[in-house]
Amino acid sequence: MTGSDPALAQASAAPEAVEPHPSRFVAPLRSAAAVAVFLLAWQFGVPLVHIPAYVLPLPSVIAHRFAETLALQLVNLGVTAMTTLAGLAIALVVGVLLALLVVYVEAVKSVIMPFLAAFNSIPKIAIAPLFVIWFGLGAESKILLAFLLALFPIFVNSMTGLGEIEPDILDLSRLAGGSSYRVFTMVRLMHATPYITDALKVAFPLALVGSIVGEFIGGNRGIGQLILAAQFNLDTPLVFAALLSITVFTTAGIWIITLFERRFLKWRPSQRSR
Amino acid sequence: MTVALEIEDVRKTFRSVVAVERASFRAEANEFVSIVGPSGCGKSTLLRMVAGLVAPTAGRIVVGGKRVSGPIRDAGMVFQAPVLLPWRTTLSNVLFVADVAGRTSAAHRERARELIALAGLAGFERAYPHQLSGGMQQRAAICRALLMNPPLILMDEPFGALDVMTRERMAFELAKIWAANRNTVLFVTHSISEAVLLSDTIVVMTPRPGRVRDIVKVDLPRPRDVSVLEHPRFVELSARVRNGIEMASEMDSQRKVVSDPTSVFVQ
Repeated sequence: MTGSDPALAQASAAPEAVEPHPSRFVAPLRSAAAVAVFLLAWQFGVPLVHIPAYVLPLPSVIAHRFAETLALQLVNLGVTAMTTLAGLAIALVVGVLLALLVVYVEAVKSVIMPFLAAFNSIPKIAIAPLFVIWFGLGAESKILLAFLLALFPIFVNSMTGLGEIEPDILDLSRLAGGSSYRVFTMVRLMHATPYITDALKVAFPLALVGSIVGEFIGGNRGIGQLILAAQFNLDTPLVFAALLSITVFTTAGIWIITLFERRFLKWRPSQRSR
Repeated sequence: MTVALEIEDVRKTFRSVVAVERASFRAEANEFVSIVGPSGCGKSTLLRMVAGLVAPTAGRIVVGGKRVSGPIRDAGMVFQAPVLLPWRTTLSNVLFVADVAGRTSAAHRERARELIALAGLAGFERAYPHQLSGGMQQRAAICRALLMNPPLILMDEPFGALDVMTRERMAFELAKIWAANRNTVLFVTHSISEAVLLSDTIVVMTPRPGRVRDIVKVDLPRPRDVSVLEHPRFVELSARVRNGIEMASEMDSQRKVVSDPTSVFVQ
């Protein structure tokens, strides 16, 4: 009876790829080659058009400056990373809890949503100086800024992920005698997880923006301060070296989230047939 | 025979629209009952009222001797869409109704495996829904409804989203699975042949407002296989059901059922 099922052959092959996926090795190689070509063009092309070093330093100079200031980079990156991750973590907890409140308590939605919408329309960067007045030049004002920038995408995605469950599944759970706690853990939370990891990929760089802007406005530590100091001394290679530090940090963060998705969200369309 | 399900003078209105008007019928234990009618005859609403997911405006529904007043326990449900959880494998999806109630045991796991094998899904226990065809997904959904061996199974056009050929095969598969379990089934469909093929009793409903037009006892011998489609009694019963629907359709001035005698499965 199942013999003529058209999807059968395909489905049985799906769990294990029959032949090794060609893009598994080709795609990273291609990316590496593109980066190499870009760096070579920069290294050897820029001198040809006579752009001065203080405007656009060569990659070799930036690399050298980066290696020279590695300890300085790491100390400052540590400070920025701490406030970024703290802000992101608080945004994750608060965003998901707010979403839960909105999903489970119908009345809350109509009360909370206008405030959140109004709040989201304020450019958070513009009120950053206010936080310095309120919370001083320490880590608190940076964490708060990181938190506020990261909060909204996490909240909105959590709300969709926790709330937009197929009614039939909820009916099925009710008929099966499912407790609301189990419906939450087995249905809502599972459904929301990919929405939340997606939100984290957006929120993580936003939290970093918050931290660095906070450092621009006040304080004496962090990558934001390093960039400001380098700019003040017209040390453009150091500015670029600091940017390189941030890039490595962001890429690593996104990579960790992606690893989590590959490991735990195998069922997602984006994770299929890898 | 014991009565598994009793529907008495049930009426349902949504605002001013009458969805179901004074419907009455009953299902004996271990009986396969189909509700047949064109779209908009309130048959899905009736099913949801039996499940206790929707309250009737008037009338009485009794399941297993108890009057329905909220979502009933001990009923399996199959919807038009498979509604499998995409993050669960076939086995895990079948076990969902036990998991969500917090009562999964080794015996449930074993029964799930048996049902999966019975439904022809052996070897796909660890496949995710996206790796299954539509028909296979719906078979997994039927297994899920049977897992707790509920006395009553409610099916709301379970093959409605499948292509005609898969649909026909699924009907025979369901007949086979049902023969092995013999739960009372309330099966909503708009396919006359499907109803005659599967049922002991067919409730024919008319649209707007949904009324019970005819109750047809199907006395075809079981087990039924493809040959039953050519049985003279099959043709006779199909004609009677079709007739009931068409009389209603004429009153409705709109013909909703194709009366091509060569079409086996009227959509």
